[in-house]
Amino acid sequence: MVLFSIPFHEITESFGAAVSCLSTSHLTDEVIRRSKRMILDTLGVGLLGTSTPVFNTVLQCSQQALENSKVWGRPGLSLPPQYAAFVNGVAVHSMDFDDTWHPATHPSGAVLPAVLALAETLPVKPSGLELLLAFSVGIEVQGRLLRFSKEAHNIPKRFHPPAVVGVMGSAAATAKLLGLPAAQSIAALAIACSSAGAPMANAATQTKPLHMGNAARGGLEATQLALLGLEGNAQILDLESGFGAFYPDYVPHPLAEVTPTSRYRWVLEDQNIAQKRFPAHLGMHWVADAAIEARAKFLDKCPNADLSQIKKITLRVPTSRYVDCPLPVSEHQARHSFQFNCCTALLDGEVTVESFSKSQMIRSALKEMLLKVQLENPQDNHSSFEKMYCEIAVETTQGEMFTARCNTFYGHWRKPLSHVDLVRKFRANASTVLSAEVVEGIIYTVDHLDTNQDCSMLWSYMHFNKHMMDRNERRSSALA
Amino acid sequence: INVCTQRSTRYLSAISAARGLHKSALDVVERPAPEETVTSSFGRFIQSVQPRHLSPTVLQRSKRMVLDSIGVGLLGSTTDVFELALQHCQHMYAPDDVSFVYGRQGVKLSPTLAAFVNGVAAHSMDFDDTWHPATHPSGAVLPALLAISDMFHNNSKPSGLDFLTAFNVGIEIQGWLMRFSNEAHNIPKRFHPPSVVGTMGSAAACARLLSLDRNQCSNALAIAASLAGAPMANAATQSKPLHIGNASRLGLEAALLASRGLEASPLVLDAVPGVAGFSAFYEDYAPNPIASLEEHEHSFLIETQDIAFKRFPAHLGMHWIADAATVVHKTLVGLKGGSVSPNLVQEILLRVPLSKYINRPFPETEHQARHSFQFNACTALLDGEVTVQSFHTEALQRPELLALLSRVRVEHPHDNPANFNIMYGEVEVTLVSGDVLRGRCDTFYGHWRNPLSQESLQKKFRSNAGAVLSNERVERLIEAVEGLDHLDDCKPLLAQLQ
Repeated sequence: MVLFSIPFHEITESFGAAVSCLSTSHLTDEVIRRSKRMILDTLGVGLLGTSTPVFNTVLQCSQQALENSKVWGRPGLSLPPQYAAFVNGVAVHSMDFDDTWHPATHPSGAVLPAVLALAETLPVKPSGLELLLAFSVGIEVQGRLLRFSKEAHNIPKRFHPPAVVGVMGSAAATAKLLGLPAAQSIAALAIACSSAGAPMANAATQTKPLHMGNAARGGLEATQLALLGLEGNAQILDLESGFGAFYPDYVPHPLAEVTPTSRYRWVLEDQNIAQKRFPAHLGMHWVADAAIEARAKFLDKCPNADLSQIKKITLRVPTSRYVDCPLPVSEHQARHSFQFNCCTALLDGEVTVESFSKSQMIRSALKEMLLKVQLENPQDNHSSFEKMYCEIAVETTQGEMFTARCNTFYGHWRKPLSHVDLVRKFRANASTVLSAEVVEGIIYTVDHLDTNQDCSMLWSYMHFNKHMMDRNERRSSALA
Repeated sequence: INVCTQRSTRYLSAISAARGLHKSALDVVERPAPEETVTSSFGRFIQSVQPRHLSPTVLQRSKRMVLDSIGVGLLGSTTDVFELALQHCQHMYAPDDVSFVYGRQGVKLSPTLAAFVNGVAAHSMDFDDTWHPATHPSGAVLPALLAISDMFHNNSKPSGLDFLTAFNVGIEIQGWLMRFSNEAHNIPKRFHPPSVVGTMGSAAACARLLSLDRNQCSNALAIAASLAGAPMANAATQSKPLHIGNASRLGLEAALLASRGLEASPLVLDAVPGVAGFSAFYEDYAPNPIASLEEHEHSFLIETQDIAFKRFPAHLGMHWIADAATVVHKTLVGLKGGSVSPNLVQEILLRVPLSKYINRPFPETEHQARHSFQFNACTALLDGEVTVQSFHTEALQRPELLALLSRVRVEHPHDNPANFNIMYGEVEVTLVSGDVLRGRCDTFYGHWRNPLSQESLQKKFRSNAGAVLSNERVERLIEAVEGLDHLDDCKPLLAQLQ
């Protein structure tokens, strides 16, 4: 006997409805194009990341017997899907090379590993378009949630966004891939919410990549639990004590209704994404571009100049404690250091993957230059990836001053990488681990994802490694 | 103003400057001592605390906690949510399936998954212990430790004392962390405490049992911080038990990752302006370092702040109101004899603290019923007690219960704060005859101010464990826990649970 009626829980219900009603017919060309770029880029950084110590650590930790989903860059090695999602997610964020959005988060790394790991285990494999749909839903949910808080629009201080919205995105994407009804999608979101949130303090450490891995894993697990019938709070997105727990200013709104014939306005359409040119925190890209320009001016004026003639370097950047690191010791710190990236760009005219290697980091010329850097935080330089700028002023011993300013670095959503440059980045990353043939195979497959009925090639390609023999092959050859 | 906070933000040793911790390169100053930070003090404590630091009171109380936790875990293995979590984990399947699962003889899982499902069992019915400041400390720690113990080779299982030390480290760390925030002293509103401090406690306990060095212990805590925090909204739902399951599992994972060399923030427990660490989970965070064991006599918090064991499986707040309603029940039965008929009752007024997630006039599920002042008051009014059976489906739907529920009004007096150390429960029943009967409870039996006798605690254990184990095993378990500090190794304890 029910003595009261269930009130209409607008917001969460609208999410559940949207997640279950969005279909391939709602994908626009622009969304497809942009998401293919994101997928390509993410795969590339993931492959590169499989060579890092942190990836090896988590892999060792996760190995288990019943293997279902392929580990990237480890031929013959598979793990249960949530652990595959975990290690592959760690790979994607291991070098801070993955995409960044506005409001700030790294959306793809939380979603793609989970979606691929899950897709691999399904008896009937999804088409490329279905894969794209699930991926887009995962990105969309993140974008919508971030817009529920003004604080989310600034460079984060408290919780690391991928750990907050990333896990929700992963839950939504995997729920979508399984075709869960709205009520179960809501359950997946609610369960995922209890796995959300990691403090900023672990950024710039070896643990940061785990935020991404855990987001991918947690979302997938949440969906698996929801599928088994587990329920959480059906108002999870409406409540301050729910998802609102992660923000001081939480004002949620319901998603628009989705009908089979309506047009759906995706966040990704209105707000493009930034893809990085080198593996460091997004803020470093403004600094690098400004420093490269100042260096060019300096060398232009004094073609044979010695960079040790630089007396003082002033950087005008937004306030952000966790990327203010005068003397980084680890590569993780270096990727989160205005000063380091500035000096590298001044010395070398560019910042690359190699810039964060041990040998590059211990250069005495670099260390000397680091001592000359002074940071300033002008009032008009907002801690927001939408509004910030970087100004550099280089003073020489001769008394000359060279300045430059970067408002929008190349790769930012306002100035996206060209297709050629995006593919070039992918090739450079992927070929550290894959042969040229396989690299081209992935490029082709992602490019044709929306027209491909069978995309299982994708995770098969990810499973190669030109430096390693297949684990199974190795065993049989050892026995021979 | 916290001096220690200031000290940690002016941390200027050569090591930290080289690590580039937010200071201008030109301000670097030489200074020794890695012990200055709150975080490193925790790491050092976990690594250096020894069995001899455990006082008799601590031993006694912690053994009671271990006993109760095993019991509720075994009973919890009969619930739907537990079955669900178990299926989930069996699907995940692990090669190192060495750790036992409560109530499933012969079933094994990998240590982390065993910690997960056993943790879910422990909290599945909200029957596990509660502390002040508020959290459920044992359920987050014990499953992980038991799972690890199964990992050790048969010839090198930890001794009973080692086990108890690790257990107490896990509890102690939780208590310490909660004292860093005033907000933590009240019934929670934002993050569910077991998911915040429980994960940290599990990491600490596991690090201790695995004998990690102090840096690894600090890293275990820092890694765990990135796995902590679940919002309150999932309390009173089927997902709540997973908070404890995950706390246990993820703390164990954090310790294992730290043992493999994973590093995280060395300042995670310190208050660094502009970059939140563990402070992310609180509005007001003022940490203090744990004093070095070499220089100070360490007093475990459990020594001065005892724990509450529940008499029936529901949120702690329910125990006050149930005891208050029982007083009225006894009076009514005394007047009229027989059972209480709803027809006698005109109105029921409850005076309870203000707390949204336990104020539910018409709970629909058992999870909601365990978090409903109204439900527990009416049940106690009707039956004279609240028991495990009170939350079964048939009991939830009794017409006489629903009749009473529709006559309940709730008030939140100003002198009744949402705080387990201060709150009270009052029931005022107006009969159709015009008589008004009152019952009040300031300290329920089982609260830390009025702890369960050893007899009552064992009775609860027998009833719980007996639901899934033979009487023989039940008695052997009681014996093993009772003599835990004298066991050379904890095999006798583990054997009964396999």
